[in-house]
Amino acid sequence: MSRGGYVMHLGRVPYAEAWDLQRSLAGAVSQGAIPDTVLFLEHPPVVTLGRRTDESAELHIPEANNVEVVETDRGGKSTFHGPGQLVCYPILDLKRHGRDVKQYVRNLEEALIETVAPFDLTGERIDGLTGVWLTSPPRKLASIGVHVSRWVTTHGYALNVDLDPAPFTDWITACGLEDATFTTVAREVGRDVTVDEVRPHAVAALEAVFGLELEELPADDGAGLWAQPVHHELAAK
Amino acid sequence: MSDALEAAAAACDEVAHELEQALAHVRVAAEHYRQGAAPRGAAHAWAAHGHLLEATERLGTQAREHARRSVPQTD
Repeated sequence: MSRGGYVMHLGRVPYAEAWDLQRSLAGAVSQGAIPDTVLFLEHPPVVTLGRRTDESAELHIPEANNVEVVETDRGGKSTFHGPGQLVCYPILDLKRHGRDVKQYVRNLEEALIETVAPFDLTGERIDGLTGVWLTSPPRKLASIGVHVSRWVTTHGYALNVDLDPAPFTDWITACGLEDATFTTVAREVGRDVTVDEVRPHAVAALEAVFGLELEELPADDGAGLWAQPVHHELAAK
Repeated sequence: MSDALEAAAAACDEVAHELEQALAHVRVAAEHYRQGAAPRGAAHAWAAHGHLLEATERLGTQAREHARRSVPQTD
Protein backbone atom coordinates (compact mmCIF):
# COMPACT_ATOMS: atom_id res chain seq x y z
CA MET A 1 0.00 0.00 0.00
CA SER A 2 1.37 3.43 -0.95
CA ARG A 3 1.62 6.24 1.56
CA GLY A 4 1.08 9.87 0.70
CA GLY A 5 4.00 12.25 0.67
CA TYR A 6 5.06 15.58 -0.72
CA VAL A 7 7.60 16.33 -3.40
CA MET A 8 8.91 19.84 -3.81
CA HIS A 9 11.00 21.18 -6.69
CA LEU A 10 12.87 24.07 -5.20
CA GLY A 11 15.09 25.17 -8.06
CA ARG A 12 18.59 26.45 -7.29
CA VAL A 13 19.04 26.82 -3.53
CA PRO A 14 22.21 27.80 -1.63
CA TYR A 15 23.54 24.87 0.42
CA ALA A 16 23.12 26.53 3.82
CA GLU A 17 19.47 27.42 3.16
CA ALA A 18 18.70 23.91 1.95
CA TRP A 19 20.39 22.32 4.95
CA ASP A 20 18.54 24.53 7.40
CA LEU A 21 15.31 23.76 5.58
CA GLN A 22 15.93 20.03 5.76
CA ARG A 23 16.57 20.09 9.49
CA SER A 24 13.43 22.07 10.14
CA LEU A 25 11.30 19.94 7.83
CA ALA A 26 12.70 16.87 9.56
CA GLY A 27 11.23 18.30 12.75
CA ALA A 28 7.88 18.77 11.03
CA VAL A 29 7.96 15.18 9.69
CA SER A 30 8.97 13.89 13.11
CA GLN A 31 6.08 15.77 14.71
CA GLY A 32 3.63 14.37 12.13
CA ALA A 33 2.86 17.87 10.87
CA ILE A 34 3.67 16.81 7.34
CA PRO A 35 4.08 13.41 5.68
CA ASP A 36 7.33 12.10 4.19
CA THR A 37 8.67 14.93 2.05
CA VAL A 38 11.17 14.85 -0.79
CA LEU A 39 13.10 17.93 -1.88
CA PHE A 40 14.60 18.17 -5.36
CA LEU A 41 16.95 21.04 -6.08
CA GLU A 42 20.26 22.15 -7.47
CA HIS A 43 23.02 23.90 -5.57
CA PRO A 44 25.31 26.70 -6.67
CA PRO A 45 28.90 25.39 -6.68
CA VAL A 46 29.83 24.14 -3.22
CA VAL A 47 32.15 21.56 -1.66
CA THR A 48 30.64 19.72 1.29
CA LEU A 49 32.48 17.69 3.87
CA GLY A 50 31.00 14.65 5.56
CA ARG A 51 31.71 13.31 9.03
CA ARG A 52 34.47 11.04 7.67
CA THR A 53 36.24 13.67 5.58
CA ASP A 54 40.01 13.93 5.96
CA GLU A 55 40.43 17.58 4.94
CA SER A 56 44.20 17.48 4.56
CA ALA A 57 44.02 14.51 2.22
CA GLU A 58 40.87 15.35 0.29
CA LEU A 59 40.84 19.11 -0.24
CA HIS A 60 43.10 20.69 -2.85
CA ILE A 61 40.95 23.52 -4.15
CA PRO A 62 42.99 25.92 -6.32
CA GLU A 63 43.15 29.37 -4.72
CA ALA A 64 41.62 30.95 -7.82
CA ASN A 65 38.41 28.99 -7.21
CA ASN A 66 36.65 30.82 -4.46
CA VAL A 67 34.16 28.01 -3.92
CA GLU A 68 32.19 27.70 -0.71
CA VAL A 69 33.19 24.83 1.60
CA VAL A 70 30.63 23.57 4.13
CA GLU A 71 31.10 21.06 6.95
CA THR A 72 27.98 18.95 7.27
CA ASP A 73 26.59 16.26 9.57
CA ARG A 74 26.04 13.70 6.83
CA GLY A 75 27.94 10.48 6.57
CA GLY A 76 30.68 9.93 4.03
CA LYS A 77 33.52 12.06 2.78
CA SER A 78 33.84 15.18 0.64
CA THR A 79 31.83 15.86 -2.48
CA PHE A 80 31.05 18.62 -4.93
CA HIS A 81 27.65 20.05 -5.83
CA GLY A 82 26.92 22.36 -8.72
CA PRO A 83 24.30 23.32 -11.30
CA GLY A 84 23.42 20.42 -13.58
CA GLN A 85 23.37 17.97 -10.70
CA LEU A 86 20.03 16.65 -9.46
CA VAL A 87 20.12 16.81 -5.68
CA CYS A 88 17.50 14.86 -3.78
CA TYR A 89 16.87 15.20 -0.05
CA PRO A 90 14.24 12.68 1.09
CA ILE A 91 12.95 13.55 4.55
CA LEU A 92 11.44 10.23 5.51
CA ASP A 93 10.37 8.83 8.83
CA LEU A 94 12.17 5.48 8.84
CA LYS A 95 9.77 4.24 11.50
CA ARG A 96 7.49 3.81 8.49
CA HIS A 97 10.23 2.35 6.31
CA GLY A 98 11.84 -0.41 8.31
CA ARG A 99 14.11 1.34 10.86
CA ASP A 100 17.19 0.18 8.99
CA VAL A 101 19.69 2.84 7.92
CA LYS A 102 21.80 0.48 5.81
CA GLN A 103 18.71 -0.70 3.97
CA TYR A 104 17.67 2.92 3.50
CA VAL A 105 20.97 3.66 1.74
CA ARG A 106 20.56 0.52 -0.40
CA ASN A 107 17.07 1.73 -1.29
CA LEU A 108 18.42 5.12 -2.36
CA GLU A 109 20.90 3.30 -4.60
CA GLU A 110 18.05 1.24 -6.04
CA ALA A 111 16.06 4.42 -6.72
CA LEU A 112 19.06 5.91 -8.53
CA ILE A 113 19.53 2.76 -10.61
CA GLU A 114 15.84 2.94 -11.62
CA THR A 115 16.15 6.67 -12.33
CA VAL A 116 18.88 6.28 -14.93
CA ALA A 117 17.49 3.07 -16.51
CA PRO A 118 15.16 5.01 -18.90
CA PHE A 119 18.33 6.58 -20.34
CA ASP A 120 19.62 3.09 -21.17
CA LEU A 121 22.21 3.38 -18.43
CA THR A 122 22.85 0.41 -16.17
CA GLY A 123 23.68 1.78 -12.76
CA GLU A 124 25.46 -0.58 -10.43
CA ARG A 125 26.63 -0.87 -6.85
CA ILE A 126 30.25 -1.59 -6.01
CA ASP A 127 30.95 -3.66 -2.92
CA GLY A 128 32.25 -1.58 -0.04
CA LEU A 129 31.34 1.74 -1.64
CA THR A 130 28.14 3.76 -1.53
CA GLY A 131 26.70 5.50 -4.53
CA VAL A 132 25.85 4.38 -8.04
CA TRP A 133 28.42 3.58 -10.67
CA LEU A 134 28.67 2.67 -14.31
CA THR A 135 31.13 -0.05 -15.34
CA SER A 136 33.50 -0.95 -16.95
CA PRO A 137 35.70 0.88 -16.21
CA PRO A 138 34.10 2.14 -12.96
CA ARG A 139 32.74 5.69 -13.27
CA LYS A 140 30.79 7.27 -10.45
CA LEU A 141 27.44 8.70 -11.50
CA ALA A 142 25.80 9.51 -8.18
CA SER A 143 26.86 10.05 -4.58
CA ILE A 144 24.93 9.31 -1.40
CA GLY A 145 25.33 10.75 2.09
CA VAL A 146 22.65 10.60 4.75
CA HIS A 147 21.96 11.65 8.30
CA VAL A 148 19.32 10.07 10.52
CA SER A 149 18.02 11.58 13.74
CA ARG A 150 15.03 10.21 15.66
CA TRP A 151 14.61 7.91 12.62
CA VAL A 152 14.00 10.89 10.32
CA THR A 153 16.36 11.21 7.37
CA THR A 154 18.11 14.27 5.97
CA HIS A 155 20.64 14.74 3.16
CA GLY A 156 20.32 12.15 0.38
CA TYR A 157 21.83 11.82 -3.07
CA ALA A 158 23.35 13.87 -5.86
CA LEU A 159 23.03 12.57 -9.42
CA ASN A 160 25.40 14.04 -11.99
CA VAL A 161 23.12 14.95 -14.88
CA ASP A 162 25.08 17.45 -16.96
CA LEU A 163 27.97 19.27 -15.35
CA ASP A 164 31.71 19.42 -15.65
CA PRO A 165 32.95 16.64 -13.33
CA ALA A 166 36.44 18.17 -13.06
CA PRO A 167 35.88 19.60 -9.53
CA PHE A 168 35.40 16.05 -8.19
CA THR A 169 39.05 15.35 -8.95
CA ASP A 170 40.72 18.73 -9.49
CA TRP A 171 39.36 20.48 -6.37
CA ILE A 172 38.87 17.54 -4.04
CA THR A 173 39.46 13.83 -3.82
CA ALA A 174 35.74 13.24 -3.86
CA CYS A 175 34.46 10.49 -1.58
CA GLY A 176 38.09 9.98 -0.53
CA LEU A 177 38.64 7.85 -3.63
CA GLU A 178 42.03 8.32 -5.27
CA ASP A 179 41.99 7.80 -9.06
CA ALA A 180 38.20 7.56 -9.19
CA THR A 181 36.49 8.71 -12.36
CA PHE A 182 33.27 10.69 -12.27
CA THR A 183 30.77 10.87 -15.07
CA THR A 184 27.38 12.38 -15.93
CA VAL A 185 24.19 11.18 -17.58
CA ALA A 186 24.76 13.59 -20.48
CA ARG A 187 28.30 12.39 -21.07
CA GLU A 188 27.18 8.77 -21.09
CA VAL A 189 24.24 9.21 -23.46
CA GLY A 190 26.13 11.61 -25.71
CA ARG A 191 23.62 14.46 -25.72
CA ASP A 192 22.42 17.34 -23.59
CA VAL A 193 20.24 16.18 -20.71
CA THR A 194 18.56 18.57 -18.30
CA VAL A 195 17.79 18.11 -14.64
CA ASP A 196 14.14 18.72 -15.53
CA GLU A 197 14.24 15.74 -17.90
CA VAL A 198 15.61 13.41 -15.26
CA ARG A 199 13.54 14.54 -12.27
CA PRO A 200 10.23 12.80 -13.20
CA HIS A 201 12.11 9.51 -13.43
CA ALA A 202 13.66 10.21 -10.04
CA VAL A 203 10.23 10.87 -8.51
CA ALA A 204 8.78 7.67 -10.02
CA ALA A 205 11.74 5.63 -8.78
CA LEU A 206 11.40 6.91 -5.22
CA GLU A 207 7.67 6.18 -5.29
CA ALA A 208 8.31 2.62 -6.45
CA VAL A 209 11.17 1.86 -4.07
CA PHE A 210 9.70 3.46 -0.92
CA GLY A 211 6.01 2.72 -1.60
CA LEU A 212 5.13 6.39 -1.68
CA GLU A 213 2.58 8.34 -3.66
CA LEU A 214 4.27 11.70 -3.94
CA GLU A 215 2.11 14.73 -4.40
CA GLU A 216 3.81 17.63 -6.11
CA LEU A 217 3.43 21.05 -4.65
CA PRO A 218 2.56 23.13 -7.74
CA ALA A 219 4.78 26.03 -8.68
CA ASP A 220 1.95 27.99 -10.30
CA ASP A 221 1.39 31.51 -9.13
CA GLY A 222 -0.93 31.45 -6.14
CA ALA A 223 -0.56 27.74 -5.48
CA GLY A 224 0.58 27.00 -2.00
CA LEU A 225 -0.45 25.22 1.10
CA TRP A 226 -4.11 24.76 0.37
CA ALA A 227 -6.26 22.60 -1.91
CA GLN A 228 -3.79 19.75 -1.64
CA PRO A 229 -5.37 16.32 -1.04
CA VAL A 230 -2.80 15.36 1.56
CA HIS A 231 -3.42 18.62 3.36
CA HIS A 232 -7.11 17.78 3.52
CA GLU A 233 -6.25 14.42 5.04
CA LEU A 234 -4.04 16.09 7.62
CA ALA A 235 -6.69 18.66 8.39
CA ALA A 236 -9.22 15.89 9.00
CA LYS A 237 -7.02 14.30 11.68
CA MET B 1 19.04 28.16 41.90
CA SER B 2 17.50 24.74 42.31
CA ASP B 3 17.97 22.04 39.70
CA ALA B 4 14.25 22.15 38.96
CA LEU B 5 14.32 25.87 38.23
CA GLU B 6 17.43 25.53 36.08
CA ALA B 7 15.70 22.75 34.13
CA ALA B 8 12.64 24.99 33.68
CA ALA B 9 14.83 27.84 32.46
CA ALA B 10 16.64 25.56 30.02
CA ALA B 11 13.32 24.30 28.69
CA CYS B 12 12.20 27.89 28.12
CA ASP B 13 15.45 28.64 26.29
CA GLU B 14 14.77 25.69 24.00
CA VAL B 15 11.24 26.93 23.32
CA ALA B 16 12.63 30.38 22.53
CA HIS B 17 15.11 28.82 20.11
CA GLU B 18 12.32 26.92 18.35
CA LEU B 19 10.24 30.09 18.07
CA GLU B 20 13.19 32.07 16.72
CA GLN B 21 13.69 29.43 14.06
CA ALA B 22 9.99 29.48 13.22
CA LEU B 23 10.16 33.27 12.90
CA ALA B 24 13.16 33.06 10.57
CA HIS B 25 11.43 30.47 8.37
CA VAL B 26 8.18 32.41 7.99
CA ARG B 27 10.14 35.54 7.06
CA VAL B 28 12.01 33.59 4.38
CA ALA B 29 8.70 31.99 3.27
CA ALA B 30 7.18 35.44 2.79
CA GLU B 31 10.19 36.51 0.74
CA HIS B 32 9.93 33.47 -1.54
CA TYR B 33 6.17 33.83 -2.01
CA ARG B 34 6.69 37.47 -3.04
CA GLN B 35 9.23 36.27 -5.59
CA GLY B 36 6.70 33.75 -6.94
CA ALA B 37 8.68 30.76 -5.66
CA ALA B 38 5.66 28.90 -4.24
CA PRO B 39 7.25 25.51 -3.45
CA ARG B 40 10.22 27.13 -1.76
CA GLY B 41 7.92 29.41 0.21
CA ALA B 42 5.74 26.47 1.19
CA ALA B 43 8.74 24.44 2.28
CA HIS B 44 9.82 27.21 4.64
CA ALA B 45 6.25 27.65 5.91
CA TRP B 46 6.09 23.94 6.77
CA ALA B 47 9.48 24.18 8.41
CA ALA B 48 8.11 26.98 10.59
CA HIS B 49 5.08 24.84 11.40
CA GLY B 50 7.35 22.06 12.62
CA HIS B 51 9.18 24.44 14.95
CA LEU B 52 5.88 25.77 16.32
CA LEU B 53 4.71 22.24 17.07
CA GLU B 54 8.01 21.45 18.75
CA ALA B 55 7.73 24.62 20.85
CA THR B 56 4.15 23.76 21.75
CA GLU B 57 5.11 20.26 22.82
CA ARG B 58 7.99 21.52 24.95
CA LEU B 59 5.81 24.16 26.59
CA GLY B 60 3.21 21.50 27.29
CA THR B 61 5.82 19.26 28.88
CA GLN B 62 7.06 22.14 30.99
CA ALA B 63 3.50 23.06 32.01
CA ARG B 64 2.78 19.48 33.07
CA GLU B 65 5.98 19.38 35.09
CA HIS B 66 5.07 22.69 36.73
CA ALA B 67 1.60 21.40 37.56
CA ARG B 68 3.03 18.18 38.96
CA ARG B 69 5.33 20.07 41.27
CA SER B 70 2.63 22.60 42.23
CA VAL B 71 0.15 20.16 43.75
CA PRO B 72 -0.11 21.18 47.39
CA GLN B 73 0.78 18.60 49.97
CA THR B 74 -2.26 17.36 51.82
CA ASP B 75 -2.23 16.42 55.47
